[in-house]
Amino acid sequence: MLEEALEHLVKGIVDNPDDVQVDMRTLRRGSVLEVRVHPDDLGKVIGRNGRTARALRTVVGALGGRGIRVDLVDVDQVR
Amino acid sequence: MSDVNTTTASDSGSSATLTRLEQEGEIAADYLEGLLDIADLDGDIDMDVEGERASVSIIGDTSTRELTKLVGRDGEVLEALQELTRLAVHRETGERSRLMLDIAGFRARKRAELAQLGAEAAAEAKETGQPVKLDPMTPFERKVVHDAVAAAGLRSESEGEEPQRRVVVLPA
Repeated sequence: MLEEALEHLVKGIVDNPDDVQVDMRTLRRGSVLEVRVHPDDLGKVIGRNGRTARALRTVVGALGGRGIRVDLVDVDQVR
Repeated sequence: MSDVNTTTASDSGSSATLTRLEQEGEIAADYLEGLLDIADLDGDIDMDVEGERASVSIIGDTSTRELTKLVGRDGEVLEALQELTRLAVHRETGERSRLMLDIAGFRARKRAELAQLGAEAAAEAKETGQPVKLDPMTPFERKVVHDAVAAAGLRSESEGEEPQRRVVVLPA
């Protein structure tokens, strides 16, 4: 549910919603929600002073994702 | 001739504003409804236009408790959702939105409390003849207080820098 909720929230605010992908990864130190967006939209999901990213994290936390990290990843980025 | 044109332009201007604000409300409602569905939360969405702003409220039917997690401590989650909703509106309209979001009556209750605080501060200023300084507040909160003070027949101003800006109620 958290992936789907986060995907919905991000898709609604970017110019390239089809490029949005959210994956939940379970790492040794806890879970991470990885958000991939079109490179042109990265600034948009971060927002001024990280404001939008913070808002996304706050809502995810409220929906039961407290303690789950939210990472924003540029699709061009190689892991 | 030119007078007629001016009148027509301003009339259609204000109804265009109303249409634009209604459209903002609809975009916001879609965005929020999608979230409620995914999170399996029950809530009705109410849309309105108040002054120059679109206003959208999520109202719980029976289990309002479930919805309060979307309000959060001190309305923290509500502010975050309002921010995201404004961005969603901006994406569709290309214009910045000042839409107001309320959830489970949080802002409505807050507004009533602040209006009472404003009235009490006005009464104190009248009685003592001294300015009354209130605690720092957000722009929304100050506006409610200023309105309440004005309704009590006194003037008030804001002083200080955000986020320490506060209302000062002036004695008559």
